[in-house]
Amino acid sequence: MSEPSASVGSNKSSILDEGITAEDGPILFLENVEVGHSKANPLLVIPSLELQPGEIVSIAGPSGIGKTTILRTVAGIMSPLSGKMRVCQAKPPERPTRGSVGYIPQRLGLVRHASVWHNVMLGARAGHSTKWQIFNSVVSNHTKRAIESMGLSEKISEPIRRLSGGEQRRVATARTLAQSPKLILADEFLSELDEETMERVISEVVNYVRTSGCAMVLVEHDVSRAKQVSDRVLLVDDGRLNPFISSTIMVEA
Amino acid sequence: MRNVRNIASIFFILLLLLCFIILNQMVGDWGRASGGFSNLVSFFDESLWPPDWSVVEPRGYPPCESPELIDFTCSPAWIGIVETIRIALVSTVFGMVISLPIAILAARNISPAWISFSARLLLAASRSLPSLIWAILFVILVGFGPFAGVLAMTIYTVGYLGKLQYEAIEGMDGIPLESANSMGLSKIETSIGVVIPESANNLISQAIFMFEYNVRHGTVIGIVGAGGIGYEIKNNLSFLQYDRVFAYLLIIFVVVILIDLLSIYARSFFTEESDIDRPTWGGVFLPVGLSQVK
Repeated sequence: MSEPSASVGSNKSSILDEGITAEDGPILFLENVEVGHSKANPLLVIPSLELQPGEIVSIAGPSGIGKTTILRTVAGIMSPLSGKMRVCQAKPPERPTRGSVGYIPQRLGLVRHASVWHNVMLGARAGHSTKWQIFNSVVSNHTKRAIESMGLSEKISEPIRRLSGGEQRRVATARTLAQSPKLILADEFLSELDEETMERVISEVVNYVRTSGCAMVLVEHDVSRAKQVSDRVLLVDDGRLNPFISSTIMVEA
Repeated sequence: MRNVRNIASIFFILLLLLCFIILNQMVGDWGRASGGFSNLVSFFDESLWPPDWSVVEPRGYPPCESPELIDFTCSPAWIGIVETIRIALVSTVFGMVISLPIAILAARNISPAWISFSARLLLAASRSLPSLIWAILFVILVGFGPFAGVLAMTIYTVGYLGKLQYEAIEGMDGIPLESANSMGLSKIETSIGVVIPESANNLISQAIFMFEYNVRHGTVIGIVGAGGIGYEIKNNLSFLQYDRVFAYLLIIFVVVILIDLLSIYARSFFTEESDIDRPTWGGVFLPVGLSQVK
């Protein structure tokens, strides 16, 4: 296993200064983590994975091998079967700080009968308000900004079910950006974006990750697409997640 | 496959046979039943027909103050049926407000097992007695009148509607719940922000159904003195005025059918995919086939 911290390029040192500092340690830390539904039959073993602030990592591999299960485990929806795991310094079953993990499932998980504003507001609430606060102007500012950044201002009061697939994906992205998360987990994020807005969405997200010291895990089945945006590509093979040497082609942020 | 079907049909025939045997035991003397039809004919002829439509005429006391054209609004039938509908409306709305939080607690995909078990127990308890029995209890507690009816129907509504609601909530898509959970939203935020909007169509449609159900059952609770048209029916029954009772039953029949149809129409706005075509009014009121003619 290559030492994961070695793969953090020097180009990110400036980001470390303004966002989350290096003393906080990695945003995501996994060691010999087994994921799956039952202990007797784990789907996947992750020998070692560390994510530093500002880093984008893709997990690629054939479908049905358990990539989504990794994300669901990191997102706290499932618990890891064994091994050491820390998400934003929180050790399961302890949960990371409210709003610090932004999860974009493949099927998005939007409230279909509610408006764009309502959905994005839920994310902003998680990131910028306490449980009991009823109204908070910071929340509405973040909601508005995230909707604008995804170019959805005109659809702000449309219910989700009236939007196209690509628009829905942008709403889910806006919801996650409104959270101002420290870790973004995105499932099949690139492959389902519509062609017209793909550039914009990717550049907004990548820009956010690079400037705020957030980290991002992408799950993709398409390796070439994954390589375009990420610093490292991890291939799932034979039930183990192998960090291998990455190409560092990056999208202009 | 053939075997399974054979076993199923043999089982069904045996079940039918068993029911005949039980029925035979309960009837005892079949001679009693033979007179049934002629009894019905003479009862209908002598007591029921013609229905006494004086029930829609204004009653003598208290004096009617409405203009003559709408003086039927002073009739016992009108006052009774309006009271029944009012009881149903109030108890459906209050019942829904009370049952929704309990239903969220009872939904297994949101609440931990012990909370959902207790909430289900509570709902089952309020559903276990029919509203008629609750009405008897509340007439004893708060006296005769619609207030007892409202209390009885509200409690029954909580139990019945609550069960429908938690089943709807458990049937909702799990992914929005998972994303809310991973964001770190609290249970209350998830309930208000995700669960209720996501299942709103179902919840509204069930509440309309419940209103319709409460109107139907509200006609009965008056018999024990809990308000509504049932009270008039009971009075006339005890004086053996069957022709008046028959008029009331016909009125109830028409009103219940109208509310059923209205409920079907209203619920059509809250189907899961509400982008589908609305039924036309003709489609609701006319038999299938007739409404197709445009």
